[in-house]
Amino acid sequence: MRIETCYFCSSKIYPGHGVNFVRNDCKIFKFCRGKCHKAFKRKKNPRKVGWTKAHRKTAGKELAIDPSFEFEKRRNVPVKYSRETWQKALEAIKKVTEIKQRRQDHFVMERLRKGRDIEIQMDVKNVQRNMSLIRSPAAGLKERRAKEEAEEAALMDEEDLPEEKITYVDARELEKRLEEGMGIEDLEMLEA
Amino acid sequence: MGMVTKRKKMHYGDTHLQRRWRVRNRRRDLDQIDDDLRTRSGELINQNVDLEKPGFAQFYCVHCAKYFIDDTAMQAHFRTKVHKRRLKALEIEPYSIEESERAAGRGSFQQAKKRGMETQPTKAEVIAGKRIKVEEKVETTAAAVSTPVASSSSTRATRNRPQKMET
Repeated sequence: MRIETCYFCSSKIYPGHGVNFVRNDCKIFKFCRGKCHKAFKRKKNPRKVGWTKAHRKTAGKELAIDPSFEFEKRRNVPVKYSRETWQKALEAIKKVTEIKQRRQDHFVMERLRKGRDIEIQMDVKNVQRNMSLIRSPAAGLKERRAKEEAEEAALMDEEDLPEEKITYVDARELEKRLEEGMGIEDLEMLEA
Repeated sequence: MGMVTKRKKMHYGDTHLQRRWRVRNRRRDLDQIDDDLRTRSGELINQNVDLEKPGFAQFYCVHCAKYFIDDTAMQAHFRTKVHKRRLKALEIEPYSIEESERAAGRGSFQQAKKRGMETQPTKAEVIAGKRIKVEEKVETTAAAVSTPVASSSSTRATRNRPQKMET
C-alpha cells in the first residue's frame, strides 16, 4: 500500500481515492479530489492558490527548509525484510514525526510573535500621538501659570541692578577711525 | 391578456469554458514548454515543412506553443499582451510533480528560481547557430534590462523582411 501525494494541494491520497491523469508525455498527475483535478484543468498555478501546501511554503507561512524533512523520501532501493530494522524504523518514524511537529509549531509561533511585537509598537505610537485624548493639555494650566509668574517675580528681584548703558556707534565711522590708526582704547576714551 | 411572462435568465453557465477545458482541447503545459525551451528550441523554430500545420509549420512561437500562417502574423503576435504575459509566466520556474512532493514534506522545499526570458531568435539566427538560453536571472535594475529588449526587437523586425520574401 502506498500513500500518494496530490499534485495540486500536496495532501495524502489513500488507495481508492482521487483521480490519475496521464499526460501524453507519460507523466502521471495524481489528484486527491475533484477540487484539485478541476483546478489543474483550469491551469491554475498551485503556488498562487492560497489553500495549497506549495503556496503556504513559498509564502513562508510554514516551515519549508529543515533536516527533519529529509527522512521521508522515495528512495527506489529495495530493502530486504528483517524484523529488527522493521521495529527500529517504526520507533524512528514516531520519534521523527514528533520532532517535526514540534519544529513546525515552533516556526508558526515565532512567525506570529513578530506580528505581536509590531502590534505593541503600534499601540505605543498610537498612545503617544493621541496623548491629548487621555490627558487634556489644559490640565493644571492655572497652577503652571502661577508658578511661572512666581519664578519671574523671583528673577526680577534678583535683577534689580541698574540697566547697562548702551551706546550706538556708526559702523562706517568706526572703520574710518580704525584705518586712521586709532586703537580701540582711544575710541572708548573718545566716547567717554 | 394571454401574455406569457418569460423567465429572465441571469446565469448562462460555463459550458463554453468547460469545452475549453476538455482533454481533447489541451494545449502544452508550462513545464513542457520550459522543457522545449531548454532542449529543443532550435528544431522547433526551424521545422521541416508539414502541410497539416498552419503556415506549413514554418512560423512557430516556442513560448506560446503556437503556429502562425506567416511572418507578419508571428511578428504581430510577439507584440501582443498574450505573448508578453506568457514570457512573464515562464520567468518563474514551472511547478512540477517533484515540487508537490517537496511541499508535502518529502525533502526540503526549494523556492522557485527566476530566469531571464526573451522572445525567440529568428529562423535565420537559429540556422546561424543561436539557441534560446534559459538562465537564472542575476539581480539587475529594471531600466538596464528593458532597454536592450526594446532595441533588439526593433532590429529583429527589420531583419525579418528580406527573409519573408525568400520564402
